[in-house]
Amino acid sequence: MTMHETTPERVLGDDIVIAEGVKKWFGDFQALKGVTTRVKEREVVVIIGPSGSGKSTFIRCLNRLEAHQEGTIIIDGTELTNDLKNIEKIRSEVGMVFQQFNLFPHLTVMDNITLAPIWVRKTPKAEAEATAMELLERVGIPEQADKYPGQLSGGQQQRVAIARSLAMKPRIMLFDEPTSALDPEMIKEVLDVMKELAASGMTMLVVTHEMGFAREVADRVLFFDYGTIVEEGTPEHFFTNPQHDRTKLFLSQIL
Amino acid sequence: MTGHVVTEVTELAPEPPPKGIRVWLKENLFSTPASGVMSILALLVALAGIRGILGFIFDPTRRWEAVTYNMRLLMVQAYPAEQAIRIWFSVGTVAVLLALSLAVWRVGGRTSPRQVGGTLFAVGSLALLGGLLGPFSTTGKIGWIVVGAVLAGVGYYLRNGLGERAKEESIPVLGAVAVVIGLVLVVIWTIELPFPVRDTAGEQVVSFLPIASSTRVPWTIIALVGVASYLVMKFARDLLPAVPTRRVLVGLWVLSYPVLVLVVLRDPHVPLDRVWSFYLPLAVGFAVVGALVLNVAANRSLGELGRVIGAVALIVALASFAFQMEYVVRFLLLAFAFFSLAAPTFGGEGASRRIFLAMWAISALLIVFFYVMATSESTVEVPGAFMLGGLGLTLILSITAIVASFPIGLLLALARTSKMPLFRIMATTYIELVRGVPLITWLLVAFIMLPVALPQGVSIGGVMRAIGAMTFFSAAYLAENVRGGLQAIPKGQYEASQALGMTTSQMTVFIVLPQALRAVIPALVGQVIAIFKDTSLVTIVGLFDFLHIARAVIPGQSQPFNFLGTFREPLLFAAVVYWMFTFTFSRISLRLEKKLGVGER
Amino acid sequence: MTVEVREHQKTPLWRNATFLKWVAQIGVLIALLALFALLGREALKNFNQSGISFGWKWLSDPTGVDIREGIDTSPDSGVRALAVGMVNTLRVGISGIVAATVLGTLIGIGRLSKNWIVNKLSTIYIESIRNVPLLLQIFFWQAMALVLPQLTTDDVGTYWFKASNKGFGLAWFRTDGGFWPWMLFVVAGIVVGRYVSRYRHRIQEETGRITYPGLSWFATVIVFAAVGWFAWPILRILAPVWHGIASFFRALPPIVYPIVGAIASIGFAVLWIRNFFESRRTPAGFGKLTDDDWFRVIFAGFSGIALAIVSFVIGGFVLTTVGGDKATVAELIGRGIANVFDWFGRSFEVTSGSPIVGSRPEVIVKGAGFVNFSEGGVVMSVPFFAIWTGVTLYTASFIAEIVRGGILAVPKGQTEAAMALGLRRSQYLRLVILPQAFRIILPPMGNQYLNLMKNTSLGIAVAFPEIVQVGTTILNQTGQSLPVVLVWMGFFVTLSLGISAIVNYYNRKMMIVER
Ligand SMILES: Nc1ncnc2c1ncn2[C@@H]1O[C@H](COP(=O)(O)OP(=O)(O)OP(=O)(O)O)[C@@H](O)[C@H]1O
Ligand SMILES: [Mg+2]
Repeated sequence: MTMHETTPERVLGDDIVIAEGVKKWFGDFQALKGVTTRVKEREVVVIIGPSGSGKSTFIRCLNRLEAHQEGTIIIDGTELTNDLKNIEKIRSEVGMVFQQFNLFPHLTVMDNITLAPIWVRKTPKAEAEATAMELLERVGIPEQADKYPGQLSGGQQQRVAIARSLAMKPRIMLFDEPTSALDPEMIKEVLDVMKELAASGMTMLVVTHEMGFAREVADRVLFFDYGTIVEEGTPEHFFTNPQHDRTKLFLSQIL
Repeated sequence: MTGHVVTEVTELAPEPPPKGIRVWLKENLFSTPASGVMSILALLVALAGIRGILGFIFDPTRRWEAVTYNMRLLMVQAYPAEQAIRIWFSVGTVAVLLALSLAVWRVGGRTSPRQVGGTLFAVGSLALLGGLLGPFSTTGKIGWIVVGAVLAGVGYYLRNGLGERAKEESIPVLGAVAVVIGLVLVVIWTIELPFPVRDTAGEQVVSFLPIASSTRVPWTIIALVGVASYLVMKFARDLLPAVPTRRVLVGLWVLSYPVLVLVVLRDPHVPLDRVWSFYLPLAVGFAVVGALVLNVAANRSLGELGRVIGAVALIVALASFAFQMEYVVRFLLLAFAFFSLAAPTFGGEGASRRIFLAMWAISALLIVFFYVMATSESTVEVPGAFMLGGLGLTLILSITAIVASFPIGLLLALARTSKMPLFRIMATTYIELVRGVPLITWLLVAFIMLPVALPQGVSIGGVMRAIGAMTFFSAAYLAENVRGGLQAIPKGQYEASQALGMTTSQMTVFIVLPQALRAVIPALVGQVIAIFKDTSLVTIVGLFDFLHIARAVIPGQSQPFNFLGTFREPLLFAAVVYWMFTFTFSRISLRLEKKLGVGER
Repeated sequence: MTVEVREHQKTPLWRNATFLKWVAQIGVLIALLALFALLGREALKNFNQSGISFGWKWLSDPTGVDIREGIDTSPDSGVRALAVGMVNTLRVGISGIVAATVLGTLIGIGRLSKNWIVNKLSTIYIESIRNVPLLLQIFFWQAMALVLPQLTTDDVGTYWFKASNKGFGLAWFRTDGGFWPWMLFVVAGIVVGRYVSRYRHRIQEETGRITYPGLSWFATVIVFAAVGWFAWPILRILAPVWHGIASFFRALPPIVYPIVGAIASIGFAVLWIRNFFESRRTPAGFGKLTDDDWFRVIFAGFSGIALAIVSFVIGGFVLTTVGGDKATVAELIGRGIANVFDWFGRSFEVTSGSPIVGSRPEVIVKGAGFVNFSEGGVVMSVPFFAIWTGVTLYTASFIAEIVRGGILAVPKGQTEAAMALGLRRSQYLRLVILPQAFRIILPPMGNQYLNLMKNTSLGIAVAFPEIVQVGTTILNQTGQSLPVVLVWMGFFVTLSLGISAIVNYYNRKMMIVER
């Protein structure tokens, strides 16, 4: 059971994500009940927890796909408020990968990847395309550039989605269950890409049920339940010696 | 007045009778006793119908010469005959563009002899039946029967006599179309139709002249040019780069319509000195200075200042309406405001920036060009109000209304699905109010109320009023169609675009609209059909459209020939023409639906 | 070193997303209002210059309008002329809806038939009718009717059916003395039948015995109608009751009506706001409302108050009545209600006649050599024939496609599952396929009904006196264009709201069944 490989030493930097008492309501339902945590630069944080515990809601608040209602979120020194300039800045620094890929079906893989760099970052087209090719090579599918998303397998689509996010040169990547919609044999190819990304020093927040990934790659694991962080710690601590009853129960159910 | 729903027509041709006619009859007509009774009843209805229709058409007291004699009236009303070349040029342009597009988009697959045979067989059988039932002279009957029998025989052979080869898709559809065009040409050069003339005593007699005796030369030329341009493009298309060629063609289509209507058909008398002294410097000035400003506004480093430029431009454009100045300047200012508002988000960098600036320059030049053309006096002398009537007017009304209502409908649909409550309320009110009240009411409003409500000195002609009413009416329906497409877009698409940092307008232009429009193309074609049919309502407010000429003008003619009270013949003719247009459109819509459906995966 | 959590940074107003959103919305709203105000002012100025001032006096003024057919051919006031037009619209519309539904459904099913020739005929019908403009079809039917034979003195007599270029005479029914008391019996039958059928339904569920609840409902209505046919004179005793209700409304002070209107609109707003707050209530109180939410609340409250004020303004509006005296709208509403009940009272006082009698068309000589139909039977005039046939056939072609699409949309698996359960063909059609198809068919069908209603306005082209035609005539006589247009809009918008309300009601009912 102790397959825990040592993570390549990453030197963690300053706090790049700060969440202080983040609360969020959907109508009369409170999905986040005061989440406080800090993520350092180059840190890989894995978020786990039962369904409906607010994991997705939390990371969606970090790039304001959802607006939190109380508390403070500071990304790379910029506070997330309804200030358009801040939202713009944060969104171009934070990449996100979704469970359902959400590729744009009417655009080729290449156009999917270059659209935002060209129009949001205002990169010249040729440069954007060169970067896109590099990224496609990095995620292992350079030959698919001219296909449409509908012609790719799930794993390929998710890798395109990762490349699309990376094309914006983000400093932080958010992953919301990136492998949950995939067949087992495709999961590995996506996780490999994510591992490589972590090794390269990207700051990552990953919601996942892949405990192997958490053990192997994570610097820290957050356990969510009922809209709060119930427990957090290194993977070692977390999987071998959980403190909280809820955590124990959860781990006993999934391991 | 209705959202014309185009639904798929399943292939109804029954499977061919491989097991012989008796089995086919048993399976398709007499499967049960009830079905047998129904078949016989339906057969009686069908036979009576065919006989009735043929009896009506070939009744010697029918006065079809009211249609043939008035063909020019029906098509273009009073457009001067000596200027007819302008109309032929327009038709020819459209034909050439059509042929080029068919080639470039590689439209038209192949069909099998079996299908062609089936069609021939059906047509032949109908002709045969008609010959048996119709009120013809003996020679006429024999002619019909012989033609019908030959057609049906050839069809039957193609269908069943070729064995397995019949199923091969070996006949190009467009080739078949070319053959049909050829046949039509033969027909218009040979077959004769009734035409009233005066005999030596000045009495009216009906004599028979070739179909289209006065127009067959231009028709033939147009057909040949069309086929030729198709063939040329067919060979050239492999040498030309695909995407730019398509873009150029789309551009030509877009430009062709205003150019044909405003320039070719109107032949405006352009005040050249004023063009040199005012319009040209104005256009060039706006294009150059505007491009420079836009280049600055699109700069990323400018930050919010870029948006301030846009806001200022908008205020200047709106304020221009409070001061005395030429309308063209106001239009230019409005367009400039639009471009400068878009500059920070769509200005791009490098090549995209250059395209953006070029688009501005071209827009500015086009605005001035069309303004000059539209405001110059027309040299085509047409007695009465508008230059074109009849089918020409019907087409102008429908095309303009559809094109103009498109952007309005888009905006309304976006507003109605927007998260901003005030926009939603305004759009919903507009859409529901307009759709709740019949078109004729809006036409009456435009014709009775609008003239009084306009500021002094501004007057709008009848055709423009009708176009305005139809535009705003159809925008409401279009908005509902587009809304359907907008609502079908998954939430993830919005989230992904936001996560990539796109602004709302970028998301709308790059992600939302392309997907939404693709999804609603069939519904949009249905809307085009509905508007085309609805243009006929302008006859009620007294415009001389196609229906008005068929229903009111021809039956009111007593000179030079007396067609007083000839209502039904022109009406039937009009019905057939309308039918051909709408039926073609609905077929196109079906094809598009299938093609898009296939393209999804 | 970590970045400190500072106090909330202040967002400058011009970058505040919420603020900008509202500025844009209110800006556009104001721009639109300004545009309308500008146009409106200009229009009023122009109208004043041409000596027309808009008002509603024409509603009560005597008109010289002659209407060719309808419940009153020489109405004595504008309002009555409009009423005749509305009734004509509804006459064509409702009978057209019934006919188009029947025809369209038949053709739609024919389109699915395995019988080759039935199938072909249905297809030809649909493809030829719906691809030709409706107006052209209406003109065509008019032209066809106008070439029918003329009525001459030879035709004088009574007929079951008579076609001529003056229209079509048909044998029909008409109401007579005792109709309304009899209708009361029928209504009572429907209400009682409902209870009977519910009772029998319960028995069927409890015991499993088949009790035919629907049939028993129908039977109850028949019994009540039959008894009422003979017993209706008894209801004379109700006449004083109706008159009593009438005098109650007459005695009510007119201010009551606007008060009711105001209470209703403010009450509605308050209710809405309360529900809204309820839906946003959080454990932490109401603090979680976004700016959008606040705006909605304010907007709702504002609309409620505005509507309340409007109801007082309208209620206090003074009109000249047909009699020539002046009265406020509130008073007129009161009088109107009272008149309806008085009229009921009078209908219940009748003692002779029988509720419904048959009548046949009759051709008579009217004046010197002028032959026409008399009052008997129903006479379908040529304009009515043209517009009715036109809209019915046209709409039927659309309905046929809707019906066909609805049936095809029910998945094949449903049929197979039903057959696997051992249901017979008639049973699975009735119990499985039709309910599902109906749910798909209903919304587009409602749309078609609405279209049909609106299309009756093409009657103006063949001089059929429906609301738009009558309105145009009044407008030409009085120049009161704006008020007439408002009446049109009011009429048609009410109609569409009515039809969509019915469709929505059934839709919701179906949805509940589904769950
Ligand atoms: N848009 C929304 N409207 C209302 N409630 C929502 C919305 N989004 C999420 N919720 C609720 O908030 C709670 C937290 O949802 P969230 O998606 O964050 O859970 P999760 O931890 O990601 O669960 P899962 O593992 O199933 O993805 C859930 O109870 C969910 O029902
Ligand atoms: Mg989730």
